[in-house]
Amino acid sequence: MTGLQLTNLSKSYGGHRVIHDASLTVHPGEFVVFVGPSGCGKSTLLRMIAGLEEITSGSLQIGGQVMNDVNPAERGVGMVFQSYALYPHMTVAQNMGFSLRVAGKPPAEIAARVAEVAQTLQLTPLLDRRPAALSGGQRQRVAIGRAILRRPKVFLFDEPLSNLDAELRVTMRIEIARLHRQLGATVVYVTHDQTEAMTLATRIVVLRAGRIEQVGAPLDLYHDPANTFVAGFIGSPRMNLIPAEVLGVSAAGLDLALTGLDARVTVPGRAAVGDRVTLGLRPEDFDPLGAAELTLEVDVVEHLGAESFAYARGGDLTLILSARGVPEVKPGQGCTARFDPARALLFDASGQRLRP
Amino acid sequence: MAKRPQLMAYATLSLISAYCALPFFWAALASFDGNASLFLKWPEDWTTANYTRIFTVENGLTWFMNSLIVVGAATVLTMVLGGLGGYALSRSNAWWKRPFLYTILLIRVVPPPALIVPLYKVLLTANRAVQEVLRAVLPPDMLRPAMRVFGLVDGYLGMILILTALQLPLALWILKTFFDTVSRDYDEAALLDGASLMQRIRLVLLPLALPGLAAAGLFAFISAWGDFLMPLIFISSPELQMLPLGLFRAFLRVNTVDWGFLTALAVLYMVPSVVAFGFARGFLVRTFGGGVKG
Ligand SMILES: Nc1ncnc2c1ncn2[C@@H]1O[C@H](COP(=O)(O)OP(=O)(O)OP(=O)(O)O)[C@@H](O)[C@H]1O
Ligand SMILES: [Mg+2]
Repeated sequence: MTGLQLTNLSKSYGGHRVIHDASLTVHPGEFVVFVGPSGCGKSTLLRMIAGLEEITSGSLQIGGQVMNDVNPAERGVGMVFQSYALYPHMTVAQNMGFSLRVAGKPPAEIAARVAEVAQTLQLTPLLDRRPAALSGGQRQRVAIGRAILRRPKVFLFDEPLSNLDAELRVTMRIEIARLHRQLGATVVYVTHDQTEAMTLATRIVVLRAGRIEQVGAPLDLYHDPANTFVAGFIGSPRMNLIPAEVLGVSAAGLDLALTGLDARVTVPGRAAVGDRVTLGLRPEDFDPLGAAELTLEVDVVEHLGAESFAYARGGDLTLILSARGVPEVKPGQGCTARFDPARALLFDASGQRLRP
Repeated sequence: MAKRPQLMAYATLSLISAYCALPFFWAALASFDGNASLFLKWPEDWTTANYTRIFTVENGLTWFMNSLIVVGAATVLTMVLGGLGGYALSRSNAWWKRPFLYTILLIRVVPPPALIVPLYKVLLTANRAVQEVLRAVLPPDMLRPAMRVFGLVDGYLGMILILTALQLPLALWILKTFFDTVSRDYDEAALLDGASLMQRIRLVLLPLALPGLAAAGLFAFISAWGDFLMPLIFISSPELQMLPLGLFRAFLRVNTVDWGFLTALAVLYMVPSVVAFGFARGFLVRTFGGGVKG
């Protein structure tokens, strides 16, 4: 099995830098997911690994070998494109066998390998069809099959599910997780969907504006974000970020005035009087037995079935609360939301986490 | 309710098509008429004499073959250069791409007669160089026939290059625009699949580019086939004569207007263009879908 080592990887278009000194180690067999908002450089970083985009500076190692200037086909990577990029004039079998065909393998061997991969992906009945005659999910599987057939050491996926409808996306997500277990290969996967990232990844890499913001296991990022960006990006519905000012410091912690909410709470933490900080609270952090208290006006309650979320206003801020943690929420009425101050996260004025 | 306007539309369209088709129909009939006139009539005296005359009395076969060789080679060359160039122009991000594309279009805007004098001068000079080279490597008795093939003035090669140069701008534009619609993901997928440049062109790009190539090739063929001016200026040997000029000179030699003979020439001249269109049509509509999405 093969790992990846990115050391101070940078990319510029003309004078414009889009990836800034990305350093990352991907261990053999890991499923690493790049997430971030649109335009943050996820695809660019992935394409640099694939060899489709030149590396401006820094070093890329695959399996311990520097690959900066190695031909894409010789890097031992297989890529699944967002657009699938199936050759439209070839059948499914020809699409999957293309890499072996150009490598000059005998037709019998190609057919055998195609049949074997088609079996694992349930593509056998479709082998003679053209891509135009396939559904989105089937095309996706063919694209994955084509990548598998080359037996790459590292799989690269660029938003492979973004063209599918919600239901199929869940099915294919499970399929990809199963394939990863089955093949045991290293995977680098790009998505802007944080649910996909949370469910698939062994580790998530959060990118913003060409920089790696934080790397960690999904739950570590969820419970222990390094800054407000990661805190807001990971988790759905998103974390409430409430601006506050430190009024006093005592043994019990910081005495905070929540700027938008006209409320005062005491939370554990370290800061100086007068500091501007941000208080982070997940919707499920609200709890009827909590010591801190906010008075809010409920706007909307969304029932998702298993859970309900209330959108509640205080001043000019709208908070999202899990209805389970707040008794008696009704749209248009006031409510008292309580939370345990120990669960709140604190961030400094620049957005960096203040750990107690 | 919706029937009446539809009927009207069909009637109007039929009338217009009949009006357009009538001259062709007349020409086709008259060419087989031993006693053809300017009026549309059913031949009383069916004959193929008009056609036989083109091939026996006149040098019809030579003209026809010369045209086919020169125009065919120019078309193939236009498609090859246009395909490679169009692909490069589509994928390149070079700063000179736009200026280049508009400049080659400008060449098309200049009327060909304005190009003749400088073109003749350039080709004549180059022709002398070709002659020197051939004289150096070939025995003296081989020089004449070799110059007929490789000569830039009064030779196949010159004619092929001129016609290619005239057709290339449009072909480059058609194919550049066509390749713009072919996703780069195909190139990249093939690159990752380990295909070499030639394999990518042959196995992936060529099949995808067929409709664009067919369109470019068809326009090149029809336009080069109909070109009268360039053969007039650059071809003088009777054995290199091309169809349009041969037809024209034969027409001049006849004192009275022989409609049967003239229409036979016209029909003969039309056939290759029609065949080319029929051939290209199959490719023009064969576009592939479903390979990429999003
Ligand atoms: N060829 C290019 N020339 C100049 N800038 C580019 C080029 N390709 C990408 N960029 C810039 O690089 C940045 C990162 O682009 P990239 O495609 O990697 O984003 P992404 O994170 O994949 O976004 P998305 O989620 O929308 O796919 C963007 O700001 C984009 O404008
Ligand atoms: Mg992208």
